[in-house]
Amino acid sequence: MSESKIAKLHEGLVQKEFSCKELTEEYIAAIEKDNEALNAYVTVTPETALKTAQQVDEKIAAGEEIALLEGIPMTLKDNISTSGIRTTCCSKILEDYMPIYDATVWDILRKQNAVLLGKTNMDEFAMGSSCENSCFGGAKNPHSLDHVAGGSSGGVASAVGGNIAVYGLGSDTGGSIRQPASFCGIVGMKPTYGAVSRYGLIAYASSLDQIGPITTSVEDTAMVFDAIAQYDAMDSTSQGRKGAPVCDSLKKDIRGMKIGIAKEYFEGVREDVRSSVEEAVKVYESLGAEIVHFELPSLSYALPVYYIIACAEASSNLGRYDGIRYGFKADQYRDVNDMVKKTRSQGFGDEVKRRILLGTYVLSAGYYDAYYKKAQNLRGKIIQDFKRVFEGCDVILAPTVPMTAFENGHAVSDPIETYQTDICTVPVNICGLPAVSVPCGFDGKGLPIGMQLIGNSFDEAKILNAAWQYEQTASPYRAAGFGVAR
Amino acid sequence: MVTKEEIMKIAILSKLSVGEDEIDQLTKDMGEIISFADTINQAADVESDFDNINNLSNVLREDEVVPSLEREQILKNAKDSDDGCFMVKNIMK
Repeated sequence: MSESKIAKLHEGLVQKEFSCKELTEEYIAAIEKDNEALNAYVTVTPETALKTAQQVDEKIAAGEEIALLEGIPMTLKDNISTSGIRTTCCSKILEDYMPIYDATVWDILRKQNAVLLGKTNMDEFAMGSSCENSCFGGAKNPHSLDHVAGGSSGGVASAVGGNIAVYGLGSDTGGSIRQPASFCGIVGMKPTYGAVSRYGLIAYASSLDQIGPITTSVEDTAMVFDAIAQYDAMDSTSQGRKGAPVCDSLKKDIRGMKIGIAKEYFEGVREDVRSSVEEAVKVYESLGAEIVHFELPSLSYALPVYYIIACAEASSNLGRYDGIRYGFKADQYRDVNDMVKKTRSQGFGDEVKRRILLGTYVLSAGYYDAYYKKAQNLRGKIIQDFKRVFEGCDVILAPTVPMTAFENGHAVSDPIETYQTDICTVPVNICGLPAVSVPCGFDGKGLPIGMQLIGNSFDEAKILNAAWQYEQTASPYRAAGFGVAR
Repeated sequence: MVTKEEIMKIAILSKLSVGEDEIDQLTKDMGEIISFADTINQAADVESDFDNINNLSNVLREDEVVPSLEREQILKNAKDSDDGCFMVKNIMK
């Protein structure tokens, strides 16, 4: 069972069991001790963190009330813009980029005196499933340093799983929050498209990207989501949270809740992962939920549809990196065109180049209809299929990843094989749905297994309610033996 | 099957340079990735009116003048700038 770390620390601060300075110093010391092994942080910001801690301590000393997230040490994935703090996307092309404005999510948290410990590792431009496409080298799994933390938000998952941050914000384009959360044995949620503002999130694929929390408990995910899910005029696709705060209904009884199972989600899933998720189905039955079986045949096309759409959007979004306005610039060149070409060729890593090339290919004259247009057509079909399913159930239960964490170096050697491992996570991005990954077991090597609860649009309250009930009954959360002991 | 010439053409459109030593491996990788993408063409065309997700609609507002980012701040991230402008090599002779 996993309890809310945020609530416990908040209580400790309010009751003056420890000061925010002491708490922050503990985390800074833990980063100094363990970050070399985990490689979770790419930039640490102890001065900013201590300055905020001092403000929080002053408020507490003055008898002022503090917000739930106030004074809690946390981290941000390095594609979330932080004014005056280096934001690299773990790419050489942005190695010295200093944002001059804050992403809306950071603006919200900064105003609540969230203690930012630093920025965390990721696959370059969020393109990858192992965090190894980072120009800083990959983040390691706190449950086994021979294995990856997952990707692309591997640094946040490694930091939170290794307790060198209480919580973090990642981004999820095709599973980049849920997959590393699953690999590191913690909780991660991709909210509904539009629930959380994307302003200041460095874009990969704009119709799929969404920022969300990575935490050690479902309650912490609910608390962070309630804080960041706000309408933002700076994001034209922003809608904010719909309905009451998700914390209000987190602990509701789930008797009679309809939990859907689609057999397609279990195809090609490793036996131990499958049986862990099937055990969770039994837990839900014991809690009085009703299990509903259905088919989702269009899932077989979800993966190529995802890669075509994501790469097409990336090829356009990454067109902005030209060496002129910000970031890396090649030294030697003949003319402007040559400068842009050399800057991009030297600044981007191999996986980013492959995705830009694929995206340009599927959008180019002669191929547009066969690839991009066809993928958009099938995207509509997949959305229709999910809509139909949600007429008969409240949430869908599925594995998060068909296996557990890869060994270091494995993902880089075969791109297509690695793409295939995103099969369970990409459908919700295609449809804009919310999904939360929660730990549901361990494999023979002691590596965590995760399952996800998928909801209809803006049904975060429902999936978190179902996730919390499971967690309290059966979740096998284990601390990984790194970081702060409390 | 994707050819070397196609990859070179796509690279030019993408503003990426591909070296002689990279082209064979890249053509092979891209061939595999494109045949993976091609599997969607096994699916029949469907009735689908996909336009956007979660029923988003255009957001209209008054065109008001509001403070924006400072020019000086913006130029700080540029490698070359002069007189409030970004600098590049001359484009026309």
